[in-house]
Amino acid sequence: MNISKIMRVAAREFASTAITKGFIIGALVVPAVMAAVIPVVMVLAMGAQPPADTGTVYVLDHSQEVLPIMQDRLSPEAVKDRWIERFDDASKMAQKIIPQAGAAAAEKSLEQAASNIKSPIFRVIPAGDDTNIEELKEELRQQVASDATLEDEQRTLLAIVEIDADSTKIVNEDEGYGAYQAFFRPKLNEETVGEIKDGVRWSIRQKRYDNAGLDRSQIADIHNVSARESKEITEEGERKEASGIASFAIPFASMLLLLIASMTGGQYLLTTTIEEKSNRVVEVLLSAVSPMELMTGKIVGQMGVGLSLLTVYNSVGIMALIYFNRGDLVSPMTLVYFFIFFIMAYFMFASLMAAIGAAVNDLREAQSLMTPVMIMMIMPYIFFMPVIRAPNSMFSTVMSMIPPISPFIMIMRVASTDPPPTWQVLLAILINALGVIFFLWFAAKVFRVGLLMFGKPPNLRTLIKWIRMA
Amino acid sequence: MSDSSSLAVAMTGVRKTFGQKVAVEGIYLAIPQGSIYGFIGPNGAGKTTTIRMIMSILFPDHGELSVLGKKSAIESKDQIGYLPEERGIYKKMKVGAFLKHIGRLKGLDSRGLDSVVKGWLERVELEDVYKKKCEELSKGMQQKVQFVASVLHNPDLIILDEPFSGLDPVNMRLLRKLIDEEHSAGKTVIFSTHVMYQAEQLCDHIVMIHEGKKVLDDTLEDIRTRFDPRALHVDPIGGMGMTDQIAQVSGVAHVSSVEGALEVVLDEGIEPQTAMMTLLAAYPMNRIEIKKPTLEDVFIEIVTGGERGSDAEQLRADLLAGAQKDSEEVAS
Repeated sequence: MNISKIMRVAAREFASTAITKGFIIGALVVPAVMAAVIPVVMVLAMGAQPPADTGTVYVLDHSQEVLPIMQDRLSPEAVKDRWIERFDDASKMAQKIIPQAGAAAAEKSLEQAASNIKSPIFRVIPAGDDTNIEELKEELRQQVASDATLEDEQRTLLAIVEIDADSTKIVNEDEGYGAYQAFFRPKLNEETVGEIKDGVRWSIRQKRYDNAGLDRSQIADIHNVSARESKEITEEGERKEASGIASFAIPFASMLLLLIASMTGGQYLLTTTIEEKSNRVVEVLLSAVSPMELMTGKIVGQMGVGLSLLTVYNSVGIMALIYFNRGDLVSPMTLVYFFIFFIMAYFMFASLMAAIGAAVNDLREAQSLMTPVMIMMIMPYIFFMPVIRAPNSMFSTVMSMIPPISPFIMIMRVASTDPPPTWQVLLAILINALGVIFFLWFAAKVFRVGLLMFGKPPNLRTLIKWIRMA
Repeated sequence: MSDSSSLAVAMTGVRKTFGQKVAVEGIYLAIPQGSIYGFIGPNGAGKTTTIRMIMSILFPDHGELSVLGKKSAIESKDQIGYLPEERGIYKKMKVGAFLKHIGRLKGLDSRGLDSVVKGWLERVELEDVYKKKCEELSKGMQQKVQFVASVLHNPDLIILDEPFSGLDPVNMRLLRKLIDEEHSAGKTVIFSTHVMYQAEQLCDHIVMIHEGKKVLDDTLEDIRTRFDPRALHVDPIGGMGMTDQIAQVSGVAHVSSVEGALEVVLDEGIEPQTAMMTLLAAYPMNRIEIKKPTLEDVFIEIVTGGERGSDAEQLRADLLAGAQKDSEEVAS
């Protein structure tokens, strides 16, 4: 093995893959742009609402006391005020997410969006106590059937609300409060429906407070229990409570990143190997380097590709965590393990890809041989839930020791809030190291024989024959 | 036989099988340094397999071999230049970058590599392709680039597998000149071809391979003497109708018409010069000459055991078809 030749092959492999417009745009620029654009899109989406619904809401109020409150609550001004308030809250959140550079632009678009808010306009009308609900429904049915736009759009019937007589007063101790029922025109905006339902509920509740002689704001205060940040007490001391991000998102993201980085490098390796073989450039190369040197160089080169991806994505992820003040969720040791497991997962995966690439004549033929590899790559997804729920169960422990899926399972365990004992991690590293040696051995044999074999693509049995041959 | 250390390539009893199929068998070779060897034989004879074994791309099942005094080519890869039959190129790479990459893989120092590459591109009359992508070149140009890739590290042993296939006559001549120059500079050159006249033009030593076996291993001169067909080509003024009369001349064993002339095979013990005099005295001639054995004739004679018949004609047709396919490639 000539190291300088291996590095030469690796350098070309890396350059021809990573220093191309396609890779830089696909792997680096697109995610970066996505990350920058998503908050902006969120803001714009808030501005671009569907046209507001305008029309009449009939209220058949058997209780005789909810309607005035409802008319108040659903008056166009009141609705609009609430919408603006809600928008302000959302935009504050969005501004927090948008990076500094984009903040000014975002603020501008937010202002614009605020002036454009179109809240629904309701005309809440009493239906008259003697009206039959069926008549009202018939009117709505006819309006819907005629499908005509009414000249006075306020006459458009949006909803019919029937409120029970006992909805605000308890008449019978055993039955409790009465109910209400609403009938809607189809295809209304979700917000319109929500606004009407909320209006009815809020009004009924208000009347119930009044009837019971309670002060609404006082009850709201009583309801509101504020808490200082929760902490977990561990052996080392206190730490922030494991939130959803910590227990799910971080292990999942680590596994996914590992998978993406190994797959990307491996896929490129497959393509370049097939390309070199079908180009017949491989025999020229073999006159200068041995098959083993060629394969090692290619694997190392693509490892560089995977590592660059990982470095970029990891830095972005960690920067995001630090930004949200949760830098504590990823320990430096986890990062070290992360890179170790990446290298092991990658080597096993890449060996298979190199072997497949050398065995076939084109990408299409590779598909059938790829199936077992793909199954292997899907397994971490399938095992994600059971492992994350119980990172130290028997199942998780065993799965994290079986190459080639071991690195993916182990990194989930390591990144979880309940990491495994260090000896298990080290054992997994040892087992994976053996796995890497086995996979490389297998790949080297297939690679050597396969490179100069053209014609019928091999099946598993021929592959085994090649291994015996080499 | 000479001492093996002065041999560029030595093979003893080499055999290689692919599954059931025997690719080459019982190959003994001793190629001295500084010689220029031609491997000839029809397509599928085992030339490429032999060459790949010399290159340690394939390994023999039986037998021994040494290359430049080492046990295998792996130990002396950097002193060997190899142009494979299935020659490839990185399509998306620029010509200069490609050649520099190969040069560095062959152990050349990065310093000065640029001028080496440019110098070679000049020698093959491709000065202006340095910055072009390989895929932009014509097939013939690509082939010259590939030739440069095989020799730019100044190897002691140059192995060229079918170097002329796909080249037009002008480039064929250029390549022949370059190979000749390398040979004159003391390099050992081995090349294979199925077009036999190319070997005749270049080689001083011929190895003929047929169905995996070496059937001939001799200098061109010796082959010509040994396979002297003892025949004349005559073109009598009377034309083809003269066949019977010429057959009557003493010393003539057999007359047949070959490509617009008559081939006159002589009786045992009759000197061609004497026969020429006799024939000229008997009939006026447009042309009369001693037939030189072509490698094609030699090959056919060896394979068919000297018998003339449909087998020989079939073989000749096959050889011709191979050569024609090449010229078609050039045309396209």
